[in-house]
Amino acid sequence: MSAQPAPPLTPGREPYDAIVVGSGAAGGMAAFQLAMSGIKVLLLEAGRMLDPQKEYKTMEWPYKDLRRHRLPVGEFALSSAEYRMLDRPYGLTPEMQKYKKVMAYSGNHFTRDWIADEKQNPITGTPYAWVRARVLGGKTNLWGRVSLRFSELDLKARSHDGFGEDWPIGYADISPYYDKVDTLLGISGTRENIAHLPDGIFQRPLKLNCGEVQVQRAIAKMGRKLIPGRAGVTTDGVLNNKYRARCMGRGRCGRGCDLNAAFHSPAALIFPARDSGNLTVRPDSVVSEILIDDSTNKATGVRVIDRNTRETMDFKGRLVIVAASCLESTRLLLNSRSANRSNGAANSSGVIGHYFSEHVMGPGASGTLPSRRGTEPTNDDGRPQSTYIVRFRNVTDKHPDFIRGYGFQGASGAAEYPANAAETTGFGASFKRSVRETYPARVNYSGFGEVLARKENRVFLDPEVKDAWGIPVLKFDYRFGDNEKKMAADMADTAEEMLRAAGATDIRVRRDVLTEGWSIHEMGTARMGADPKTSVTNSFGQTHDVKNLFVVDGSIFVSASCQNPTWMIMALCWRAMDYVKDEMKRGNL
Amino acid sequence: MNEINEKMGAAGMSRRSVLKAIGTGAGSLALLPLLSEDGALAFEAIQRANAAPKLKALTAPQYATVNAFTDAIIPTDAHSPGAKAARVADYIDLLLSESDAPLRNTWTEGLASLDAAAVAKYKVPFIKLSPAQVTEFLTEISANEMQPATPVEQFFRTTKDATIRGYYTSEIGIHQDLQYKGNQYLPEFVGCLTEDGKDCPHCGQKAQPKAE
Repeated sequence: MSAQPAPPLTPGREPYDAIVVGSGAAGGMAAFQLAMSGIKVLLLEAGRMLDPQKEYKTMEWPYKDLRRHRLPVGEFALSSAEYRMLDRPYGLTPEMQKYKKVMAYSGNHFTRDWIADEKQNPITGTPYAWVRARVLGGKTNLWGRVSLRFSELDLKARSHDGFGEDWPIGYADISPYYDKVDTLLGISGTRENIAHLPDGIFQRPLKLNCGEVQVQRAIAKMGRKLIPGRAGVTTDGVLNNKYRARCMGRGRCGRGCDLNAAFHSPAALIFPARDSGNLTVRPDSVVSEILIDDSTNKATGVRVIDRNTRETMDFKGRLVIVAASCLESTRLLLNSRSANRSNGAANSSGVIGHYFSEHVMGPGASGTLPSRRGTEPTNDDGRPQSTYIVRFRNVTDKHPDFIRGYGFQGASGAAEYPANAAETTGFGASFKRSVRETYPARVNYSGFGEVLARKENRVFLDPEVKDAWGIPVLKFDYRFGDNEKKMAADMADTAEEMLRAAGATDIRVRRDVLTEGWSIHEMGTARMGADPKTSVTNSFGQTHDVKNLFVVDGSIFVSASCQNPTWMIMALCWRAMDYVKDEMKRGNL
Repeated sequence: MNEINEKMGAAGMSRRSVLKAIGTGAGSLALLPLLSEDGALAFEAIQRANAAPKLKALTAPQYATVNAFTDAIIPTDAHSPGAKAARVADYIDLLLSESDAPLRNTWTEGLASLDAAAVAKYKVPFIKLSPAQVTEFLTEISANEMQPATPVEQFFRTTKDATIRGYYTSEIGIHQDLQYKGNQYLPEFVGCLTEDGKDCPHCGQKAQPKAE
């Protein structure tokens, strides 16, 4: 590292072979696949450069951090969105209890500096907890690591229940790419032979603890499966990457893993790609527009506003790959307007921004396992994931109230902070002893359910409000519908019944649905499809309208399933980049 | 993106139960963790030196009351030191010093209501109560802790939440009291031994053949 940072890159005369917008799971994978094949890539990230070794504070104790991991009021990165209704201070007001998760990202010193500042990046419309990361690697620096494959049931959901659209690909198309992602990046899991949750090429699995085995055995009698979490973390190590070591079971992966055992786009994809000599990374690059020559109908590059200097410059590329996260990519497409394209780039179908979907969360249950009460606490944090209860609704049966399904994430055992303390009544020595005894015995499961991709759920450009760089912002018109609400009610019921079956006591059932956006799993606003009239891209993310413009993040999903999207984003992206390389060879791009 | 969410879930209080616990809604629950760099450094110095704190928000009598009150909620016992040893009152003082006026007032008024209730019942302020009186008094004001109604009941809940936060994020709370085992280099997670095909001596569950 030189003492003097290099001056920011300015456009040269020659175009890049490809420009990738965004450096998260999708952008990292796109840049990696192309650069490793000798293609000259410019990667643009709106946020700043990241030094993982300095910024990932994986093992810091709360009492070491002098604020005990919290920030002063006024330093929260997320100051609006749904919290617009909240008066300061956020802290432990009842409202903020509901928004704890977002506060957890924006109000602690581990991830706060990565989260988009809402004062600079406002949104309007219906409440939406839009957690955005603006830093090299984006949200992969803090993601939850749950890595589940989509199945044929998910990809052909319309054929199964008649709602929405089938994906233009089946599991056989994407399965080989899941295998490649598994092998390149490392994933922990167990082979279970569940058709609707396909197995991968797994490294060392994560074991269940005693309480979890108890739940697993109890719900097996109900025909339900609890399996070890599938984590996008290398538990055995990867041989192909000098920036990564294997998981050492320290926990706290969501602060960034300083061993880079957890998948984070910078160390796993971007740094190796940069070492190839074919990748140029430009941070602090807010892309305001995709430049398209309307006479040839080809993308020619992108317009960048430097985040710091606010200087505007155009970078030229033969190929533009948009991977800025679902909603940011959508916003960029909508903002790429001309006289011929009044509703944005690649939007002749008019569906960009529509069919917005994600996962509905909140319902679940917690309780105490009497068998574990008073036992010596075990190290239950020593895993990058805990356990997963596999979808059991609308797989072979048909639920009378709702379509699609949900899974549960959860765990038993002790964590650093005793979540049971606030629920324990009383005071004094008996209170203290009770907290201590219940501490290893806690069990908790929370549901993640599919939100239906409905046309009326959408984002669009706010005609008036602009961000700090003068770019129109997104306005949300997005609400959970009847299907989500009924599914959520069922989640609470089944969580309670499973904990009861496991013998838990003091069961607390959570029935409230959390704010839209909570899952941080935005999908569907530039969906793929065979018909250019009803979709934005083909199954390779290539836009129907502009052949050298690709979209490769969660926005191209057709439906959300109840599985976490990151691994699917990377499998789809790899498949898209193979197609790009083939088309380049054929001279079609 | 579920890790912190899991923690949220593990934290467990549903919004409804929180609202119940708070009673009147926004504003009545008080402790806010708000430390500036200066404040944080000051807190560290206090802990290192084990010195009497330079109070920033509370008066000396208020501090003494908070110290006694938090230590009554989480006292020293045979197992581990309590809130006083973990300097929870110092932590609260620093947090309050960086809070806004309404929040500080909640504590000032709460402390006043605590003393008023003690005087009404025992003719002396809280700090002067005997150990037996403290137990009797706290039993009374904690009776409705999930749905506190009176000012003194609400202040009990506020102080208890602050004490839990301060104590269980302290070195004493994490290591001595809870004996938390994580945040170490652990080459392989040790789970239930049934996961290794053995009978588990920890939980008594028997090995089962893996269903394939």
